[in-house]
Amino acid sequence: MNNKYWQGFGEFNKSEKFQKRVQDEFRDELPFEDFDNTSLLDAKAPRRDFLKYLGFSTAAATLAASCKTRLREAIPYGNKPENLIPGEAKYYATTFVEGGDAMPVVAKVRDGRPIKIEGNDYLSNTNGGTSARAQASVLDLYDTHRLRFPQRQVAGKFEESTFDFIDKAIAAELAGAGSIVLLTSTINSPTTLDIIAKNPKIRHVQYDAISYNGMLLANEASGFGRKIPTYKFDQASVIVSLGADFLGTWLNGEQNAAGYAVGRRINEASPAMSKHYQFESFLSLTGSNADERFTHRPSETGAVALALLAALGGGVTAPALKDAKLNAGVTKVAGELKAASGKALVVCGSNDVNIQIIVNAINAAIGANGTTIDWSRTDNAHKATDKEFADLLTQMEGGQVGALLVHDANPVYNYFDGARFANALKNVKTTVSFGYRMDETTQLCKYIIPSHHYLESWGDAEPRTGVYSFIQPTIFPLFKTRDYQTSLLKWFGNAQDYEAYTRAYWSQKTGNETAYHKALENGVLEDAASGTGAYNGGAVAAAVTAIASAPVGGKDELALYQTVAIGAGSGAVNPWLMELPDSISKACWGSYALISIPKAKELGIDTGVDYEYYPDKPVIRVSNGKTTIELPILVIPGMNANTIAIAVGYGRNEKLGRTAAGVGKNVFPFTSLSQSGSISYFVPNITIESAGRKEKIAQMQIHNSYEGRVEVLRETTLATYRKTPNEVLDFRKNLAATYARTTGDFRREGTLYGEHDKPGIKWGMNIDMNACTGCNACVVACHAENNVPVVGKSEVLRFHDMHWLRIDRYFVSEDANPDNLKGVVFQPMLCQHCDNAPCENVCPVAATNHSSEGLNQMAYNRCIGTRYCANNCPFKVRRFNWADYTGADSFPNNQDQKLVGVLDPVVHQMNDAVSRMVLNPDVTVRSRGVMEKCSFCVQRLQHAKLEAKKADRPLKDGEARTACQQACSTNAIVFGDVRDKESAIAQVRLNNPQRLFYSLEQLHVLPNVSYFSKIRNTDEIVPEGEDDVVDPEDRKKGLMEPAKENAHH
Amino acid sequence: MSLNRYESQVRGPLVEGGKDYHQITEDICRPVEDKPSKLWWIGFIISVCLLIFGVVSIYMDVTYGIGQWNLNKTIGWGWDITNFVWWVGIGHAGTLISAILLLFRQGWRTGVNRAAEAMTIFAVMCAGQFPIWHMGRVWNAFFVMPYPNTRGPLWVNFNSPLLWDVFAISTYFTVSLLFWYSGLLPDLASLRDRAKLKWRKFFYGVASFGWTGSTKHWQRHEALSLVLAGLATPLVLSVHTIVSFDFATSVIPGWHTTIFPPYFVAGAVFSGFAMVQTLLLVTRKVLGLEEYITIEHIDVMNKVIVLTGSIVGIAYLTELFIAWYSHVEFEWFAFKENRVNLSSPYGWAYYLMMGCNVLSPQIFWFRKMRRNLLVTFFMSILVNVGMWFERFVIIVTSIYRDYIPSSWSTYYSPSIWEIGFYLGTFGLFFTCYFLFSKFFPVIAMAEIKHILKRSGDTFKDNMTKDENETLDEFEHENAHHH
Repeated sequence: MNNKYWQGFGEFNKSEKFQKRVQDEFRDELPFEDFDNTSLLDAKAPRRDFLKYLGFSTAAATLAASCKTRLREAIPYGNKPENLIPGEAKYYATTFVEGGDAMPVVAKVRDGRPIKIEGNDYLSNTNGGTSARAQASVLDLYDTHRLRFPQRQVAGKFEESTFDFIDKAIAAELAGAGSIVLLTSTINSPTTLDIIAKNPKIRHVQYDAISYNGMLLANEASGFGRKIPTYKFDQASVIVSLGADFLGTWLNGEQNAAGYAVGRRINEASPAMSKHYQFESFLSLTGSNADERFTHRPSETGAVALALLAALGGGVTAPALKDAKLNAGVTKVAGELKAASGKALVVCGSNDVNIQIIVNAINAAIGANGTTIDWSRTDNAHKATDKEFADLLTQMEGGQVGALLVHDANPVYNYFDGARFANALKNVKTTVSFGYRMDETTQLCKYIIPSHHYLESWGDAEPRTGVYSFIQPTIFPLFKTRDYQTSLLKWFGNAQDYEAYTRAYWSQKTGNETAYHKALENGVLEDAASGTGAYNGGAVAAAVTAIASAPVGGKDELALYQTVAIGAGSGAVNPWLMELPDSISKACWGSYALISIPKAKELGIDTGVDYEYYPDKPVIRVSNGKTTIELPILVIPGMNANTIAIAVGYGRNEKLGRTAAGVGKNVFPFTSLSQSGSISYFVPNITIESAGRKEKIAQMQIHNSYEGRVEVLRETTLATYRKTPNEVLDFRKNLAATYARTTGDFRREGTLYGEHDKPGIKWGMNIDMNACTGCNACVVACHAENNVPVVGKSEVLRFHDMHWLRIDRYFVSEDANPDNLKGVVFQPMLCQHCDNAPCENVCPVAATNHSSEGLNQMAYNRCIGTRYCANNCPFKVRRFNWADYTGADSFPNNQDQKLVGVLDPVVHQMNDAVSRMVLNPDVTVRSRGVMEKCSFCVQRLQHAKLEAKKADRPLKDGEARTACQQACSTNAIVFGDVRDKESAIAQVRLNNPQRLFYSLEQLHVLPNVSYFSKIRNTDEIVPEGEDDVVDPEDRKKGLMEPAKENAHH
Repeated sequence: MSLNRYESQVRGPLVEGGKDYHQITEDICRPVEDKPSKLWWIGFIISVCLLIFGVVSIYMDVTYGIGQWNLNKTIGWGWDITNFVWWVGIGHAGTLISAILLLFRQGWRTGVNRAAEAMTIFAVMCAGQFPIWHMGRVWNAFFVMPYPNTRGPLWVNFNSPLLWDVFAISTYFTVSLLFWYSGLLPDLASLRDRAKLKWRKFFYGVASFGWTGSTKHWQRHEALSLVLAGLATPLVLSVHTIVSFDFATSVIPGWHTTIFPPYFVAGAVFSGFAMVQTLLLVTRKVLGLEEYITIEHIDVMNKVIVLTGSIVGIAYLTELFIAWYSHVEFEWFAFKENRVNLSSPYGWAYYLMMGCNVLSPQIFWFRKMRRNLLVTFFMSILVNVGMWFERFVIIVTSIYRDYIPSSWSTYYSPSIWEIGFYLGTFGLFFTCYFLFSKFFPVIAMAEIKHILKRSGDTFKDNMTKDENETLDEFEHENAHHH
């Protein structure tokens, strides 16, 4: 060996010192003292080693004892689907269909599961906004009470069957059936209509839960054809609604709202906004947004419409209106409508043909057709006429119907004489339901072929003429369900399934399959608009006569309405929607009767302290002679004194599931077929009496006034704003002048602590209270995005609701007469992400802290649940997990409370393995005992930042959007990086200094959410601080330092 | 007039019945050495039952979550923290008596200090339960301990008043316990020396730490007492000051009040003395210790009650005045509408507090009332009720309607488990107190003996002759001796 490799002289020379060091370099044993084969206590240093051993064994024992967690297995794909990256969301354009309503949406799919619905930006007129019900629809997919397999009735009981068996049985029955009727809600799917049209054996009858028969027939009578137009609220400077809840439940509320908000935005340079008058009998969501409201009895709607037409010079004589204020209102509104001719619009929510004919005459008189009313894009959401269904009913009773196939129609529940339909059903030999759930009508059918959820289906819709929206599945069907179109194709001799049929249909229509795929990708396809309407006033005279002879209302009248959440009943099965507080009443999980303040007085209901602070509300008995129900009341200002209003959609059957069952009362039996042949949604004469007991109503907000606290929110009238545009700005300047006298920098000088520089992104949000209509879409979007638990009525009653984002609703009334409602303010309230957050410094374990990007963060794992942060939050937006709502707790079996805090079945339903599929994997499911709150959708922000980082570019404005912002169809919420001078958020704040305010700014908590003040378009001048608790002069003094104060005088 | 009188001019005798040293030992050791009475057993069993109720309540709270209480999204603290502050406040009398009165050489403290200190310790133990079990995830309560850890390491938030509480309460408990126990040593040794049973000898032998009564022991004992008194004195002021910071440093109108520290301390002493009265009136009766806990003691403590009660009253009015004078609308609302307004949901609580704490103690301006046992007992209960409501008013009526009217809360009343937890701490307190009264001398024998020669009735009686002497007679007498 000649070569010798060495690293140092030590190694080369093999010195003893080196060798010893090499030997000692790694000790093989732990540095315990030697035992020398003696016992522990006799060892050299037993105490020290004893402590070591003790320490080790204690730690080991602790670890072994405490770290045992439930084993949960995650099974990877055997064969990974192509294009699927675990953890990476995919988005599919599809269409939310509910009855005739179709809304283009985008479904977010994570690991094969659709978990969130977003708006589709490609549609020209929704701003990518959605409705609360569209947002919540994803939860319906995972409803535990879906029908999971085909069934047939055997001896009065349903038994599971197979598609093959049922197909054969039905095909045989249909072959022998005389008249085959397909009963559906309005269908605007071109392919489905095509299938029906190609099978002349099928007689198609459309039946809608909420009828628009009056409008359809009136428009036909006025020469427009049996169509409903679309309305351009953005083009109207004067909007008059006769009881139409056009921002909520009347004809595509979210699309109307998008247009409406355009006219409601204020340009500070030249402040102007549209003027919205509402004539209605109770306080609706739309009415709460109106600048001026006039109330009347429901039976007076026709008289009001006639009076308006007469005042516009329509050449008709109107019956006199008794109410002086109402009369003056009609005159004033007529004047404004005339002045704004061509830029004015009148809409009416009545289902009476004659009234709608008068409304058409009004719109013709003010030049609305072609300007604010668009006849080139007619609305296809409602095509059913009431006569069609009435005729069917008679035929069924006469045994003329051989087979009835029911899809998405539930007359047993929502027809005024549901029992009659149920009876008539017995006369039909073959009854098939394509029901999605075991609803009231499905229960009575012989065969059930459950339908897919829209997120599992193929299909299309034509919500407005020439606007097509496509449906594509986002998940393999969860259960043994089938498109009803496939069934129809099969039974009527077409071998194709519906998917193939749709593809063939649209490939042919768009030219080729590639074009169809492109359309599928975008989700929508718009043809050029065409066609106009020509008005024909021939029907007016007869309508006037009919209205004049309409029955006069009795002492009390009943108005039925839909809420944004429940609609005609579809929302009643959805826990998110059931837990959504109504915009006006702030109540959830139940129905109730809205009554006026004078009526409460008349019934001897004390609306004092107890009424407000206890959830038990007096129950009244409402009867129209045939139907009697008992419901608790809520007293609402701004109602017609003699009108009781009750929402439809409640009182569902047990078999619909734990969410809907037993909640509220069904008031559809109060509807009736009026003389004009339309379903009437009011009762002109009811009797009410106290039932002498109380029932609990779950409200999330109990106090209705903001008590003149201008620090909390700012609202004023347009006239006042024009007169003193700088009122808000002056307040803010005064703050700076008072608390930052040296530098004028309120932010830095207003605190003793220094501020760290945090370069980079700083997130901020602005909410325009003038654009917010209170529609609640954002609330549900937040619920869905952030895995917010559903707590059920029992917990809401205990004020344990968990919403991260809520919409505070305040009534603004005259002090002396609270019934004189001047306006309603909606203030979306979420974590304000204060830069000087009072919650952060009180947490003993620093579980809530501030990010360098201005986010107030929650570290759930760190939280020990002292609730100090929630107490110290001036905005009260923090939510505590009072119980194990999510099943995520480390304590097993702790949802079976017996005595206190017994959880409603819905909580358990939401913890079902199927329901849990809706959870967003990007958001931690919080366990019992921790605090939670809005995170500004930090998971979305992180995702957007990562995408930008991967592309090696800075984040662009608009890439990071919060769920609430995405859901908003009026763009009331603007969000982004405030440091980016070009960002939308920086720009809106810069351009609106007069209306910009921060809630409770004087506390120097430095919120990152700003608001724009709410402005009502009236001429009233609100004296500064009129409603204030403290005199405004005093307030100023309070903010001033005494020294400065003295200098003034 | 006498030159050699070193008795207090203003106090009556503090030990009655012509006791000598032996008699004192006999009297005070008797309850410890005898079998417990029937009354003791009844009281003890009731206490243990309450304690069990409390344990069940806590079990519910820990198993099912804080939702077992009726707190809500607006009212994050209710009975839990009210009870915490109330119990901590009660403890203060013991520390005041043992520490501050020791430093001021107030002889009358010797009759009551042992029981009062025991009360302090038990009250702090009770108080400590609330901040612990009110946590949503109590199994992670150790997160509040600042020690190097494997979680990051994550450190506690030194800005948080709750963390200050952790230090304040634990320090307070430690010092109080040491003080109490070091004072017990000579008495435990006496019990050991008198013990006839083996286990008794063993128990008291271990417990008395080998006390022999040597001069050196006494000297060290005295020095330790002074040192601990010196340490405990600032604690009397600081503990409740820090507890008040839980509220004073917040932003909530009605909490954010700079007057809180002195106001809380006065309130604490006030309620503490009321609790001492309640306990001692029962103890002296049941254990037959009327000759050691005399009317004189009760009179003196009633004076403290009327003083601190009046301070508290002034604090209430100052707070109210400042709320109006400051023109802070939110604070004024919290006072005017949430409290003073009798028709508001909790208006009654405010007036109950005012009545019990401000008006009723004024009765003690009358000597006759101060020395009336029934009146004193009734008043001591009233004051404790009033002081509980003071904390309830501060906590609940401030947060249930604060800044944002939309979040104003529905009516809050406790659930059965909240009540159970509170009663459970009574169970804990009285279980401890009963055991204490059985196994430890409730009066500091050694210290009583210390003052016997100055404030005992025999001594005072013997003084009468001296007092009636003229200077000449006195001089003569003394000269004569020489």
